[in-house]
Amino acid sequence: MSSVNGAVPTTIIVAGLALAGYALLMTALNRRMSVILLGALGVLEILLLVEVGIIVARLAGGTHPASLATLIGYLIAMPLVPVAAGFWGLLERTRWGPAVIAVAGLVAAVLMVRLHQIWPIIHV
Amino acid sequence: MSDPATSPEPAARADSTRTGPGRLLVAVYGLFALSASARAGVQIATKFGHAPVAYVLSAFAAAVYILATVTLAVGSPIARRIAIVSCSVELAGVLAVGTWSLADPATFPDATVWSGYGSGYGFVPLVLPVFGLLWLRRWTRRARASTG
Repeated sequence: MSSVNGAVPTTIIVAGLALAGYALLMTALNRRMSVILLGALGVLEILLLVEVGIIVARLAGGTHPASLATLIGYLIAMPLVPVAAGFWGLLERTRWGPAVIAVAGLVAAVLMVRLHQIWPIIHV
Repeated sequence: MSDPATSPEPAARADSTRTGPGRLLVAVYGLFALSASARAGVQIATKFGHAPVAYVLSAFAAAVYILATVTLAVGSPIARRIAIVSCSVELAGVLAVGTWSLADPATFPDATVWSGYGSGYGFVPLVLPVFGLLWLRRWTRRARASTG
């Protein structure tokens, strides 16, 4: 059970770090935003929505962490990260567009670690 | 600097403090503005008595981040001056609170964004105002050069 629930956050961490690494490489190579980066951002968005769904299901099951307000804040903010980064990055027509996407990847990974700290039953 | 009203941006210039590297700066500042204000809001609303000094400083840091995000994103001459002030306050804040939190841990039973020089946030709070000020200095010089 816990290993199944831990698979999604772990995947998000790996995917977020991989996206950040690729995006930073694009910045270093002086490339602009690409369809590949947007696609990867879309995959990250889907993964984050799946994680939100898993957590909401757990809350609906009757258990909740001590800091419920913080957890709800995270549930709202999580899916907005790739959307905001995609919007802000697309406005930029230089190498700094991918740099914004890199931040989103790193943030997604950090959010998973923080989620585990807020509610230890969310395994990483 | 001359009066902002008499030193308009050169018409040929396409970029501003929010474009290029500034795009990344505004993104990271926006992230910290959001997370710092949400965190300070929850702390003050739910357990203010636990660590009042830390939570008030958290709220102050959040306000500085919001101001820096908005002024960097606007990028007008007046906004740039406000951004210089807020980045300077931020740098002074992270150095002062960082030192204070190490010298007197009892005052900080709960962390702020600036505790331990921002160690809880990968030292980004320490590095961010430095990059912000360097980026703004470039714009101040450019504006000075263009007005003679």
